[in-house]
Amino acid sequence: MGLDDLIISLLTDHTVRIVGAGALLMGITSGVLGVFTLLRRQSLLGDAMSHAALPGLALAFLLTRSKESAPLLLGAALAAWAGALAVIAITSYTRLKSDAALGIVLSVFFGFGLVLLTVIQRLPTAAQAGLDKFLFGQAATLLQRDVATVGVVAVLALGAVGLGWKEFKLLSFDPAFAGVQGFPVRLLDVLLTSLVVLAIVAGIQTVGVVLMSAMLIAPAAAARQWTDRLSTMVILSALFGALAGIGGVILSSVGDSLPTGPAIVVCASILVYGSLLFAPGRGLVWQRLVTSRRQRMVRALRVLAQLYWLGTQHGDPLRPHPAGALRALVGPDVQASLRELAARSWVRRLDDGRVALSPEGLAVGRDFLVETEPVLAPGTPESGERTA
Amino acid sequence: MTQPLSEPTLAIEVSDLTVAYRDRPVLWDVDVEVPAGVLMAVVGPNGAGKTTLLKAILGLVRPAAGTVRVFGQPLKAVRRLVAYVPQHRDVDWDFPTSVLDVVMMGRYGHLGWFRRPGSRERALALAALEQVGMRELAHRQISQLSGGQQQRVFLARALVQDARIYLMDEPFAGVDALTERAIVKVMRSLRAAGKTVVAVHHDLQTVREYFDWVLLLNVRRIACGPTNDVFTEENLRQTYGGRPVILEARRT
Repeated sequence: MGLDDLIISLLTDHTVRIVGAGALLMGITSGVLGVFTLLRRQSLLGDAMSHAALPGLALAFLLTRSKESAPLLLGAALAAWAGALAVIAITSYTRLKSDAALGIVLSVFFGFGLVLLTVIQRLPTAAQAGLDKFLFGQAATLLQRDVATVGVVAVLALGAVGLGWKEFKLLSFDPAFAGVQGFPVRLLDVLLTSLVVLAIVAGIQTVGVVLMSAMLIAPAAAARQWTDRLSTMVILSALFGALAGIGGVILSSVGDSLPTGPAIVVCASILVYGSLLFAPGRGLVWQRLVTSRRQRMVRALRVLAQLYWLGTQHGDPLRPHPAGALRALVGPDVQASLRELAARSWVRRLDDGRVALSPEGLAVGRDFLVETEPVLAPGTPESGERTA
Repeated sequence: MTQPLSEPTLAIEVSDLTVAYRDRPVLWDVDVEVPAGVLMAVVGPNGAGKTTLLKAILGLVRPAAGTVRVFGQPLKAVRRLVAYVPQHRDVDWDFPTSVLDVVMMGRYGHLGWFRRPGSRERALALAALEQVGMRELAHRQISQLSGGQQQRVFLARALVQDARIYLMDEPFAGVDALTERAIVKVMRSLRAAGKTVVAVHHDLQTVREYFDWVLLLNVRRIACGPTNDVFTEENLRQTYGGRPVILEARRT
């Protein structure tokens, strides 16, 4: 199958289109809300909440005995909410810190959910088959109805973020200052947490409760690498979430029996690691490059300063000096620095191995020495005799 | 003893304020009257409840007992009249936003729910940045600021709140001499405009120079009044738990 056949088949295949729409909505919603959880350092709260959704799903099924998505998702939302409340209650009424509270809530809720799932498996009816798809998600079983539900949830969540943009931004940066200005901080906190619940609900059928937290963390963490503006970060994060969602769907429809949920999370992880390494400014590779370039430059400027100083000692700043004399003053790696300086034509290298400042180099040396004299003036005793 | 002033208008009136964290009282039965138009220092050792007092006045902590009135009214009714400069270490400066953006946050209360800041807010924020000497850094990412610059950004943010009372939590902590001078200048211009400033202050040497009113606090109120009357060796010794506090050079 050629690439264009593949694209055509993806675009026309009904299942792929439905699943793709579901993954897209999931990716955008969790990308946007993930930015706020990341910035408020609540990424692990998102993890606990998504795990906590499982018993809610199971209880909703036990009550309704149907796999209709709306009641199941309502149950999931309520349980995720209860999980968040439990974390808050434990941290504020006991001496346990938030890491312990998150661990307790995650394992207790999730464990209870697994027990309920086992109970459900043993029911005599056939309706229960496949409820465990909510563990790791099973996008392939998404129906048009399900996607419509997810669509409503996504629109609600994104609309609320757009409406309360200023308030959520202030809450995330400086909640005390929001309180000083009369905004109800507790209410805003509850509201934002509810929106995260909506994002979890939007993704639970596609990636499942176990992997959902990755979708709240990964796109936002990747987006943070590329920008220093909140609005840009939100847009990028939504984009990354959508990309991961679509990428995962394509991967799983091409690959043999590759499950969609994990494929989506793999795509999201690739985006994160790529961004951590290569984003300009914050990426590790970038920082390493900048650091080594700066250090090379500082070493070169030290050599320039020595040349300038030697020149002033002899009353002629442009006078050539043997490179050996510089090596004695600056150290063995003087050649690399001289190449750097020559490349900027701050230094002329004569055929006899001597080097001299160029007029541009002289100007740079003067500026540089005036600005950084205390640090970079030569450490020899004579330097004390230099007059300004 | 203390000369009672001719019944001044009180900017802040704290009565019988008690605040406890768990079972430990941080403030015990504190009364404070801050006349309008003074520059008041809140002085006391670590753990004396200075920050808690500011937060109680701002309604950020719930007192176990006592009342706070601002210009004779409960805080809720006059919130817009009180601006706040928190310690600059209180927030995450790696947040993705710019200096100008943070300063505009001081207008959010005036804007109310859902309304976005516009050109008016921008102009006010730029003017406030000018006042604290940070106009050129308006578009800088906040993670690139020094401690002193962070403090000045918070001061500018409080200025755009356009309040009548300014509460500042250790505005001089960790700032260089240049920033300290800039902040003092702003404080004085606030007083000249008839505003009231209350600042938690640690440097006993500069209290007389910067402030005309002092509250000495150590869980209980030790003394409160004009600096000349209240800022005495005896009161300081009491504030700092009986140990003598030397006020060298400033008594000349």
